[in-house]
Amino acid sequence: MKVLQIRSVSIRYVVGKKEVRAVEDVSFDVQERDVVGLVGESGSGKTTLAHGIMRLLPPNAYFKNGEILLLGKNIVKMKENEVRKYRWKDYSIVFQKSMNALSPVHRVGEQMKEALLIHQPNLSDEQMMKRIRETLDLVRLPSRVIRLYPHELSGGMMQRVMIALALINNPKFVIFDEATTALDVVTQGQILDEIKKLVKDLSLTAMVITHDIGVVSEICNKVAVMYAGRLMEFGPLDKVVYEPLHPYTKALLKSHPDFLEPGEKMMGIPGNLPDLTLPMKGCAFAPRCPYAEKICFSETPKPVEVGERVVACFKVKEVERT
Amino acid sequence: MKKFREFLRRYFSHTYGRIGFFIFVLLVIMALFAPLIAPYKPNALSDDVLAPPSYKHFFGTDHLGRDVFSRIVYGTRISLSVGFVAAGISALIGILIGVVSGYYGGVVDEIVSKIIDAFLMIPIFFLILIIVAMFGSNLFYIMLVIGLTTWPSNARIMRAQTLSLKERAFVKIARSTGESNLRILLFHIVPNGMYPVVANSALQMGGAILTEAALSFLGLGDPNITSWGKMINEARTYMAFAWWTIVFPGVFTVLAVVAFSFIGDGLQHALYPKLGGVREE
Amino acid sequence: MNILEVKNLKKYFPLRKFGKKHYVRAVDGVSFTVEEKEIIGILGESGCGKSTLGLLISRLELETEGEIKFRDQKISETLRLPKDIRRRIQIILQNPYDSFDPRLTVGDSLFIPLKINQIGDSDDDRRNMILEYMEKSGLTPSKDLYRRYPHELSGGQLQRLSILRAMLLKPDFLVADECVSMLDVSVRADVINLLMDLVQSLDTSMMFITHDISLGRYVSDRILVMYLGKIVEMAPADVIMENPLHPYTRILISYSPTLIKKKTRIPIKGEVQTLLSEPKGCRFAPRCPYAQDVCYQTEPNLVEISSNHFVACHIVEKEAGS
Repeated sequence: MKVLQIRSVSIRYVVGKKEVRAVEDVSFDVQERDVVGLVGESGSGKTTLAHGIMRLLPPNAYFKNGEILLLGKNIVKMKENEVRKYRWKDYSIVFQKSMNALSPVHRVGEQMKEALLIHQPNLSDEQMMKRIRETLDLVRLPSRVIRLYPHELSGGMMQRVMIALALINNPKFVIFDEATTALDVVTQGQILDEIKKLVKDLSLTAMVITHDIGVVSEICNKVAVMYAGRLMEFGPLDKVVYEPLHPYTKALLKSHPDFLEPGEKMMGIPGNLPDLTLPMKGCAFAPRCPYAEKICFSETPKPVEVGERVVACFKVKEVERT
Repeated sequence: MKKFREFLRRYFSHTYGRIGFFIFVLLVIMALFAPLIAPYKPNALSDDVLAPPSYKHFFGTDHLGRDVFSRIVYGTRISLSVGFVAAGISALIGILIGVVSGYYGGVVDEIVSKIIDAFLMIPIFFLILIIVAMFGSNLFYIMLVIGLTTWPSNARIMRAQTLSLKERAFVKIARSTGESNLRILLFHIVPNGMYPVVANSALQMGGAILTEAALSFLGLGDPNITSWGKMINEARTYMAFAWWTIVFPGVFTVLAVVAFSFIGDGLQHALYPKLGGVREE
Repeated sequence: MNILEVKNLKKYFPLRKFGKKHYVRAVDGVSFTVEEKEIIGILGESGCGKSTLGLLISRLELETEGEIKFRDQKISETLRLPKDIRRRIQIILQNPYDSFDPRLTVGDSLFIPLKINQIGDSDDDRRNMILEYMEKSGLTPSKDLYRRYPHELSGGQLQRLSILRAMLLKPDFLVADECVSMLDVSVRADVINLLMDLVQSLDTSMMFITHDISLGRYVSDRILVMYLGKIVEMAPADVIMENPLHPYTRILISYSPTLIKKKTRIPIKGEVQTLLSEPKGCRFAPRCPYAQDVCYQTEPNLVEISSNHFVACHIVEKEAGS
């Protein structure tokens, strides 16, 4: 069963008189039990896409095109009050630690109660406490956390609370938006392990947004690589990360020191992100691509199936050979 | 340059800022071109005593037959001077003390902080009143006294700015590349931190004008100059039947103070657009 | 001759909590030397004291205790250095946007240090030097960028300019504190390559501070691992990665997300610690899976276990002895 189907989605921001093409014609599917890594650098559109799926876009953003079928329902077309019925019940999101996702003036327990009550208003106090303790257990937090305020929590604990909050209504789909980025290495590793276990134990489907390919290779089974709002490559982890086909994916990996031969130098990508307020002619990556040819500048490559994955590149055959 | 244009754009998008600036410009024109605008000399006596507003005397005449409108126009020079000089002295001293205190810290900072706290607790006007009453009421002296008693609010602002700025990366690097402390204070910290002081100074200008008016009203102002406050003081005896002698100087005083308040508001908005109101980015 | 000699360096920050005076022991007795042209990596997570160490060495922070010698000359006990020594120790900081005075053009920000240190024969000469180096570093068109303000440039460009600003002074010793952490992955390579090129061509010694193990290994000759203000392990970069001995180092490596597959996690207890009221014994003992009684009683010394490989751990010491 397809949990998430993203079909030709385009999202734009209105800034003054201009429009920023944050997400442009992106399509991919997420199957049940998938853990999809959405990888990209700043300006890639990955966060915008994630917020779009959750219908948490800022007021100056809008869906230019496309549809998002989340658990069978078209999210894009839904009215806000309808979205609220499903959001945080069937699907939820975990934000980065540094985002002010928790209210500083309410205790953790109160916030978890609120999340429960919105979707299950008829629960008794006892049932609520039971569920809260269960969820805290899932993320390995002691129940004394219930009485604490957010500022009394360490970074790792806060992140676990956010995961608990996201899981409290038994969602089927969870987005982790740079959920481990601001944490130190050991805590990050622990939380990634916990996410892996949760996905397995609760039969969750997840999307992990990150700029760190290392994180992706730890817990994801599929990877989507985005650049300048477009999808460059999408497929199984083993293929995309260890046998990359898209020139951007290759370049991204070559800039990671883990992936070098002894004596090999890290390779940067020359050039800059294109101006997202201008309509793009041709492939978004062409100006910076070592394989680019004339066609890359005049026509936009549509994602094409190559084996188990999808690649948006005219020169895939050449890239494969190198 | 682009940043300045952006600053101007933000400033003038603020309604109050626009109004304040407009009034301010009007006052400046009145002050600069007083001889051209005023139909009479401010101290020209005439037999037309306590005449109501007319075509001949727009704002009427006072008890000595002097044209009220002309006196107001020339009085603008006094008010604006007081505003600029007093607020200027206050800003200068405040920035200096604030930046040194914040940057070097230690005992100096503790002493300065206590002084600032003390000043901010005292009702300044009464302090000024006492000093002027004891030592004399020459206009320049009044401006000086106002400046010397209102610097603490600027110092407090500048000190806070300095404390945060000195931890910034570019300040650390300036030290690392060999810039002297003096250079860092003058060229990095003050230029980056003085903006809230500028906004505060706009308000202080209004305050200085009001203080001078109050001193004059109480008879402690400079006897040799024509200020709005003095006009109000002189008009007290006649205001019951010659309203124009007191209303016009009163209105202009309020106008000037309000204009500076609005300018201060506009500056605040232009410098920190995120404080209250919709984010612009 | 060693370019840098650090003996028992300490930096304690006072903290007042309800009357009792506590200290944050940011750097707690650190001793090491750096040779000419050597690149020493300081590896650790946030709170370990590595940034404070960088500030102490570059004389931007005054130590609480201890000695620092630069080319056999004592530079500790004062933040005021004689002009020629001040020029020879430079620093690059983490946030590229904060590293430049927003009111100056970047060109001026690079010009001023040259003028102050009387490098170059004239103002024109100095400007030309800057432009030349900018061209060589890919910061083109240089004349245009010279006149720009920091907010108009990207993080990668600013960080490269930061490097130029420091290296134009031809320092003997450079401290680089997390200089690519805030940059996008594909931008890091260019910055690191520029850094390495200049450091190597000018024979500069460098202290490279990072929390990223892969990067640390790529850049450094020797690595020093810190935990809660102390050095726990010190060895050539390859040795640390291939044969880590200290439990903390091994745990750090096992938790780092990397592309190298198949890693087993070494268990670690508890949360990240910062403040220790009255530390006794090994700082890592409370979280160490191998801790024994002696670890809680006495502090382990940094001992040479094998050639040029130093470890501060009772367990490792014992095993090496047997």
